[in-house]
Amino acid sequence: MNVKEYISSGIIESYVMGLANESERTEFEQLCTQYPELVAARREFEERLEHHAFENAVPPPSMVKVKVMDSISPKIINMENSKAPVRSSGGLRFVAAASVILLIGLAWFSYQSHNKQDEALQELKNTNLALKEKLDTTQNILNKIVAEQKDVVSNPNVTVVNMVGTQTAPKSSANIYWDSTSSNVFLVVKNMPKLPSDQQYQLWALIDNKPKDLGVFDATDDKVILKMKNTQKAQAFAITIEQKGGSPSPTLQKMQSLGKTRQSQ
Amino acid sequence: MGIPITYTERELVLALKERDNQAFNFLYDNYAGALYSIIKQIITDNAELASDVLQEVFINIWRKIETYDQTKGRLFTWMLNIARNASIDTLRSKSYQNSQKNQELPDNVYKSVASQTTLMNVDNIGLKKVLEKLKAEHRILVELAYFKGFTHEEIAEMMSIPLGTVKTRIRNALLQLREYLQ
Repeated sequence: MNVKEYISSGIIESYVMGLANESERTEFEQLCTQYPELVAARREFEERLEHHAFENAVPPPSMVKVKVMDSISPKIINMENSKAPVRSSGGLRFVAAASVILLIGLAWFSYQSHNKQDEALQELKNTNLALKEKLDTTQNILNKIVAEQKDVVSNPNVTVVNMVGTQTAPKSSANIYWDSTSSNVFLVVKNMPKLPSDQQYQLWALIDNKPKDLGVFDATDDKVILKMKNTQKAQAFAITIEQKGGSPSPTLQKMQSLGKTRQSQ
Repeated sequence: MGIPITYTERELVLALKERDNQAFNFLYDNYAGALYSIIKQIITDNAELASDVLQEVFINIWRKIETYDQTKGRLFTWMLNIARNASIDTLRSKSYQNSQKNQELPDNVYKSVASQTTLMNVDNIGLKKVLEKLKAEHRILVELAYFKGFTHEEIAEMMSIPLGTVKTRIRNALLQLREYLQ
């Protein structure tokens, strides 16, 4: 094949700009594995196009970034000991942001009063330090939350139990991530109908046909990972609708969702 | 907060595939403007819609980064094509078509697109600005194919020229475009 001729046919530009059809694309990709000069020519055009695009960049509205970053950020709410969201990363971020603003303010203030009061300055420095420590811990907690979420999804010991809807609620669905070594139970709501404000969903583990309470949650905690109470054993998980705060034993006629584990087989 | 980090393209891709938020933040800061520009060249009359598409594009990049294959091209090329496809899909969506006030009958759509695109536009930016340097018969084909998303077959039919001619002219136009991108 005459590579030079092929290169000057316009195939590179056509491929890079997404205008080549499928057979042209397949052929081009295949030839790239054989002819390094083809790859070099493609790269050269890509760089030109990229350079031009950067020279002609248009700054987008700043709100877009806020929305994008918000929708990709992991969110974890701990339901273990309390009914209210305890660890929401949004709140922590606010604390972190507020600490930064305080730090900046304090730095400015300390600069202003520098000549006047050495003693006051020392005190400010201490406060500054204390705030910085607080900020570091906040950052640590944030990092921990992110790491925890990664662990849940990628841990090989974690069993995923797919919860499917029952006859009373055919569309309800949720996933349980159950770490059989640490007994940790995480719940991801995929689709649960909204409840009246005096009711909540309750998760149960069924052990030898006896239910064990794993905590309550709301349908509004959509698409976040909820950390529920731990359990070592479970042949199945079930979700019921109960009065707000949960019940000591499940109202089985209101069972919304059920998922069996490997221990049941 | 934190030290600004810069990445090489390879490091950036690796970090993104590991779902690193900081890397994604860097990606946005560095590439959003260039991608927003191409979106605005396709969705020319609605800035709000263009920024919605940009948002959708970045969320898609985050979700689909696993499928990006470095052997097939640069990261920017991959993202540019995502942005271009999303913009064209939006342009063709029912809701967008309905929002256009002067609705043409379906039979006339091709003709109206063709007549619009022959007009020079003083607001042109980016690649569209470069296109102005091309001969009209070349420019209109690139407009239809790249910025409106018509296939070569569709263009051949709407312009009543043979498919082979469409392909040759577009390729020649792109080769000229390459020369202008210095």
